[in-house]
Amino acid sequence: MQTFHIRYRNTQGTLMRILNAASRRALDLPVVHAEPSEHDHLVTLALEVNQKQVGQLYREWYGIADVIKVSSGAALASAWTVAHPPAGVPLEESRAAARA
Amino acid sequence: MLKGADIVLKCLRAEGVELVFGYPGGAIMPLYDALEGSGVRHILTRHEQGAVFAAEGYARVTGEVGVAMATSGPGATNLVTGIADAKMDSVPLVCITGQVRSALIGTDAFQETDVFGVTLSLTKWSRLVRTIDEIPEAIAEGFYWARSGRPGPVVIDIPTDMLKAKKEFSGPVKFMPHARAADAKADGGFTDTIVALLRQSAKPVALVGAGAKLSGAVPELRRLLDDLNIPTFATVHGLGAVPPEAPYYLGMVGMHGTRAANTALNETDLLFVFGARLDDRVTGEPTRFAPHAKIVHFEIDPAQLDRVRPCEVPVIGNLADTIPAFHAELRKIPTSRKNSETWGTLVPDFSGWRAVACGPERAELDPRGLAQPTIRFLDELFSRLPEKSVVIADVGQHQMWAAQRYRSSSPRGFITSGGLGAMGFALPAAVGVQLAKPDTCVLCVSGDGGFQMNIQELATVRRLGLPVKMVIVDNKYLGMVRQWQQLFYQRNYAETDLSDNPDFVEIAKAYKIHSFRLNEDAMREFPVSTETGDEIDRFLRSPEPELLVFDCAPEANVFPMVPAGAALSEMLLEEEPAQ
Repeated sequence: MQTFHIRYRNTQGTLMRILNAASRRALDLPVVHAEPSEHDHLVTLALEVNQKQVGQLYREWYGIADVIKVSSGAALASAWTVAHPPAGVPLEESRAAARA
Repeated sequence: MLKGADIVLKCLRAEGVELVFGYPGGAIMPLYDALEGSGVRHILTRHEQGAVFAAEGYARVTGEVGVAMATSGPGATNLVTGIADAKMDSVPLVCITGQVRSALIGTDAFQETDVFGVTLSLTKWSRLVRTIDEIPEAIAEGFYWARSGRPGPVVIDIPTDMLKAKKEFSGPVKFMPHARAADAKADGGFTDTIVALLRQSAKPVALVGAGAKLSGAVPELRRLLDDLNIPTFATVHGLGAVPPEAPYYLGMVGMHGTRAANTALNETDLLFVFGARLDDRVTGEPTRFAPHAKIVHFEIDPAQLDRVRPCEVPVIGNLADTIPAFHAELRKIPTSRKNSETWGTLVPDFSGWRAVACGPERAELDPRGLAQPTIRFLDELFSRLPEKSVVIADVGQHQMWAAQRYRSSSPRGFITSGGLGAMGFALPAAVGVQLAKPDTCVLCVSGDGGFQMNIQELATVRRLGLPVKMVIVDNKYLGMVRQWQQLFYQRNYAETDLSDNPDFVEIAKAYKIHSFRLNEDAMREFPVSTETGDEIDRFLRSPEPELLVFDCAPEANVFPMVPAGAALSEMLLEEEPAQ
C-alpha cells in the first residue's frame, strides 16, 4: 500500500478527476482524505499499486488542469522526486550508461 | 445589459470562432435565439453526433478549436462519442451544452442529464456554469485548455436560465493559467544523452505520430530525419508528416503496417518516438514491442510516457522546441563520426526492408487476390486527387487499405478516427473539413457499415451544397469484424452480414445527390481503362457532392495483420487459419 498526497485547487471536478485516475484502473480506494490546506486543497490516497501504475498515476494526476503537486509516502519519495519520473530506468542511470 | 446567450456568442467571437456545429433543443434555445447577427455561423447537422464529428473535422484540418452545441439530456449524450474521439486523438474541441434551469438540476427533470459527470473522464476540463458572471471566464478557460499542451475536448454546460439572464458585460476575459510543475520544460541535458545513445546504436529507427503534426514541427522533423537518414515509419495519425518518397521512409507501422516497418521495429536497438502514444495497435503485445531497443520519447503529454514500455530518455515538451534542440546538438558531430562503423552497417538491412514491403509490392501479399481491385481502386483515386486534397477515412477495412495506400506529404491530408475507432466518423467530419477548406477536394471514404451510422448527414451535405466526394467501399459485411471472425473465430460470421444493405445509390438520389456504382471488375485490368479513369477524374473534380459506391469482394482481407496480443514480428501475411 502506498500513500499519495496531491495538492490541488478545489475547482469543479478536480477531486473527481484525481480519483478517476485510480478508479479507471480498477484500483480500490480504501483511504481518501481531502481537506483544505493553506491556500489550496490536499487529498491523501492509499492505493495498492505496482511500480508501473505509480508512474502512470503521477503523470495523469499532473495532467489534470488544477493539480499543483503530487508527492508520495516515504517508500517512494526518493525514487519519485521530479515531476515526470520515468517508470523504468532512472534517467541518471540511463545517461550514465549512454556515456559509458 | 446583455443576455447570457449574447455573452456566450461574444466570447466565442473573441476566441476567433466563426463556425459552430449543432442541433437545437429546449434548454439551449436561448443561445439559438441569439445567433442571428452574432457573427457566429451555425451549421445544422441532422444528429448531434454529426455535429461533434463535423466540429472535429474542422479542428483536425485547421488546427483551430472546433465548436459543437447541443441541448441538455439526449442532445448532450449524443456528443459523448465525439468527445471521447477528440480525447483519444488530441483534437481541440469545445462543446457547449444547454442544461435544465438551475432550480431543476438534480431533480431528474425532463431532459436532464449530468453531462458534467458523464463527460468528466473524457474531457481535459469542464465546467457547469452556476452564474451568468462565470460565463466569460468559463469560455476563456475552456478554450485555453482545449488548445494548450496536448489538445483535447472541453465541455461547458450552461443552464438555460443563465442563458436568459442579463448582466452588464464589460467584454471577454483572458485566462491566465497558474504555473504548474507539469508545464516544466525538458532540461537541456537530454540532447547529449540522445547523441551518445545514437552513436552507440547500430540500428536506430524513428516512429512519427500525430504529435509531430499537432505541434507544427513537421518542417523541423523533416530536416532532422533527412540528417539522421534512419528507417522511419508513421502511425496512422502520423501519415503525411514524412514525405512518402523519402528514401528512408518505410510506411505505416502497427497492426496493419508494412512488413518493413514492423520488422525494423522488431530489430532496432534505438527507437526515437516523435509524438506518438504507442497504443496497442502500434505496439502489438507490449512486452515484446521493440524488444532490443532503448526508447527516446519526444512527447508533450507526460501522461503518455511509459504506458506501454518504459522509455530510457523522456523528452517532455513541445516538439517544435525539443526537435530543433536535439538537431542542433546532432549537427555538432562531424559527419565522419556520425557515420561510424556501426551506423553504416544499417544500410543493407534498410534497403532490404524497402524491397520487401513498401509501395506497390504490397499487392503481392494478397495471394487470393480478393483485395486487389479495392487496393487498385484506392490507388486510382489517390493518384488522381488534386493537390492538397484531404482524405477522410471512416473505420474498418477500407480505413486500413486507405492508410496503407495513402501517398501524400500533406501533414493534415489524412484524417480518421484512429484512437477511438468510431464508425460513422467520416461523413460528418468531411462536412467540417469541406467548410474549413471550401476550395479543396475532400474525399470521404467509408464502408457500408459506417456510412449508415451517420447517413443522415447527406442532408447536411445537400443543404449546404458541399462538393464532398463520398465513396462507399461496399463489401456487404462489417468487414473488419468479419475478417477477425474468419481468422480467429472459425468463420463464424455472427451478425456481420449486411447483404440486406439498402441501395446506397437510390438513397443518395433521395437526398438529391448524384450517385453511381463502380464494380470491382473495372479494376481488374491494369492500368484501368480510359473510360473508368475518366469517370474517376470527373467524380473527383465535380463541383457538386457525389457518391460513388464501389462493390468490393465480400471476403477481401487486409494484410499484413498482427493479431491482437501478438508481437509485431508475428505478422500474418496471408489467410492462415487460426490454431
